[in-house]
Amino acid sequence: MHRILTYWTAALLFILAPVCLHAADFVSEQRFGDENEIILTYPAAIDKTVAQNPARYTVFEEADPDIRLEIQKIDVSDDGRKVSLLFKESLNTAKTHVVSVRGDDGREIEGIQVKKSYLGYLLSILISALLVNNFVFTKYLGLCVFFGTSKRKTTAKGMGVVFTIVMVVSALMSWFFYQFILIPYDLNFLQIVVFIGLVSLTVQAVDTILRKVNPILFNSFGVFLVLVIANCVIIAVPLIMASNNYNFAETFMLSLGAGGGFLLALYLMSSVRERLDLANIPPTFKGLPIAFIVAGQFAMAFLGFSGLQLF
Amino acid sequence: MANDKTSMQLISRGILSENPIFKLALSMCPAVGISTTVINGLMLGVAVLFVQVFSSVTISLFKNKIHPRIRIPTYTLTIATWVTVIDLALAAYLPDAYARMGIFVKLIVAFAIITMRLEMFACKESVNDSFWDGLGMGLGFMVGMVVIGFVRELLGSGAIFGYDVLGFKPLLFFILPSAGFFVVGLMMAFFNWIELAYKRTKGKI
Amino acid sequence: MKDILTIIFRLTVTCILAAMVMGSAFIITNKAKKHNEHVNEQKVRYALLGYSAAQPIPDSMALHEMYRYVVTDKESQAIGYLLPGKEGFIFLTLDMEGKVIDNKPVDIAESAVLEKDLRDKVVQEIAGAGRSVTFADQTIVVTNNGERVAYLLDGKFTGFKTFIGVMLAVDPKFSILGLEILEHEEDPGLGAEIERDYFRNQFKGKTFDQLKDLDVVKEPLPDEYFQALEGNIAAADAAEILAKYGDRDIYALTGATISSRYVNTGVKGIVKKFAYRLNILDTALADQKIKAAF
Repeated sequence: MHRILTYWTAALLFILAPVCLHAADFVSEQRFGDENEIILTYPAAIDKTVAQNPARYTVFEEADPDIRLEIQKIDVSDDGRKVSLLFKESLNTAKTHVVSVRGDDGREIEGIQVKKSYLGYLLSILISALLVNNFVFTKYLGLCVFFGTSKRKTTAKGMGVVFTIVMVVSALMSWFFYQFILIPYDLNFLQIVVFIGLVSLTVQAVDTILRKVNPILFNSFGVFLVLVIANCVIIAVPLIMASNNYNFAETFMLSLGAGGGFLLALYLMSSVRERLDLANIPPTFKGLPIAFIVAGQFAMAFLGFSGLQLF
Repeated sequence: MANDKTSMQLISRGILSENPIFKLALSMCPAVGISTTVINGLMLGVAVLFVQVFSSVTISLFKNKIHPRIRIPTYTLTIATWVTVIDLALAAYLPDAYARMGIFVKLIVAFAIITMRLEMFACKESVNDSFWDGLGMGLGFMVGMVVIGFVRELLGSGAIFGYDVLGFKPLLFFILPSAGFFVVGLMMAFFNWIELAYKRTKGKI
Repeated sequence: MKDILTIIFRLTVTCILAAMVMGSAFIITNKAKKHNEHVNEQKVRYALLGYSAAQPIPDSMALHEMYRYVVTDKESQAIGYLLPGKEGFIFLTLDMEGKVIDNKPVDIAESAVLEKDLRDKVVQEIAGAGRSVTFADQTIVVTNNGERVAYLLDGKFTGFKTFIGVMLAVDPKFSILGLEILEHEEDPGLGAEIERDYFRNQFKGKTFDQLKDLDVVKEPLPDEYFQALEGNIAAADAAEILAKYGDRDIYALTGATISSRYVNTGVKGIVKKFAYRLNILDTALADQKIKAAF
């Protein structure tokens, strides 16, 4: 995690660092504005009439270099540093766009890539696994353990934390196996065996290490470890990783989101069930039936997150 | 430990008194997730039946050769093998149904019900009995899935097996994903109610 | 210690047995899988063109596959087309302005073209070292007695949840002949309705001009239109109703306006890009006097 953070901070600083070379030619920052707008920022003011010449810019989606996007209007901000290109049609911001700007001397500078920030994309995977596609309430996975361990808040927290740890470790291991063994040797059909094997291995390893290193923690959390294997979320995450061909950072975010989502679901559910114990429930609904109905209501609430886009 | 039950008793136990979905409340995920139509429920039920029967028989066949220390890994490997086989077969021969079931076929590997039967039954009993036990549990799961699928398809899209029977859609809500929880919860309550009513009448007599 | 040895031995045997079972299952099913996928693909294509098992495709009709690649070298990018000529395949490279850079015959068998890996390798060899090629999309040109009658376009775009994969059939004037949703992960009962006839068929018959500013409206779908789109009424009556609503925008799905919008924008994008590219390609083919199979 630290490594990724440092890497990204460095990258971000690099992009944002004010560069004073070739003031007029150099674009210091580029991003999407409104749905049909790309904003270019220059480190120093540039000439307004030059900047407003549409022939100066060529813009296309990276995957379709032969189809140029038509520029309708070019606005330059008052201080002359911000140029916004307005297009006839709205842009597909999910795709990387390439903007080439011709310099004053007619020489073309290399294409500037305009895309959503990668960190934002990673966060969107996290949010998606946590809320939008919550594994319990919208993908309906891990229900046996979910209903089994959501009776008390303390159990719910313990289970959620242990589960998240095992999930992250096993998903990252699965990623290595998938990328460096299953794909190169065309052994994709062994996915199930390899992934479930890695999960069991992780659980066993965490069990042994925890028992030796921190027996007190083991006493409180050890019981949940066995349950982790019987949870289908833990095998679903590597399978989703494989079908979407995620890279290392994306896999990390996905597993963290899945684990966090499970923790969240368990916590919400256990809070309700602790109260249900005090309520006067018809005898036919006591126990699991009412828990299912509550879960259904949560699922409907989580449906509201559907289509949420933060980044 | 000798088993004193006949094959019929073993099957009926799986379907009724120890139904994996309604009684044991195990392997609920597909019951909620993809039981929107009868066909979906039936297909996954068949897949689970296949894995359960074959794993039970395999473990029962080799029960004397399995070292007790590596019992669980052997079970996992056995189940994973048969899941891979059914996964490949479905993908090849029934691509449409496979696409609808999505990730759930692969997830059979993590179904608690299968491991539980191996641990509690197949590793002790004869091959024959294990076969019937596996069949009973698999059928129990299939029946559960089909019943839920039936209710949801009938109420949600007014159809059975894709054929329009009602001519209108009573409650679209029932095929929405989250309705799976409600249907399973209500059906559990319904079975509880029957059981309670039965006990009450019995108590009076 | 003795225990460990027996454990290792037994685990190995178990693994070998398991591997044998899985390996044989893979070998048996793989062929059938490929065959079924191929059959399925053909079925979708014929259905889009209005043919089915009951009404087989006539012998005079032929399907020609054309593949588009993006060729990148150090300084510039170009578009490469792998297309069937009168004799064998041709790899035609065009620059961004549509000028021909290269025109080479390709030595590749008809069956090898269908395999993506083989095809990519051959194209990479033709393009030469120092240039990298990436596969972009494929188009199928349908001819009847040598005349072009339709194009089948593959496409993939963002949906409400994940991606929506479609196949489109358009006629030589780029009016839509049919739309098929191949893959999607929209919510069942809501966005998943995009694969239903009453939504897909609304696109049928929209001309290129209509398509350019086709929009999605949030209005309830009239019942007679619904019945006609679903094919529940006699063909003659249905045609009349369909003609009546022919110039309307797309009616959004109830509770899934966003999914409907994504499909609409996606379809528009695919057709517009294709029309633009085909124009350039045809000019280049005529310029170079290349005899394509279509």
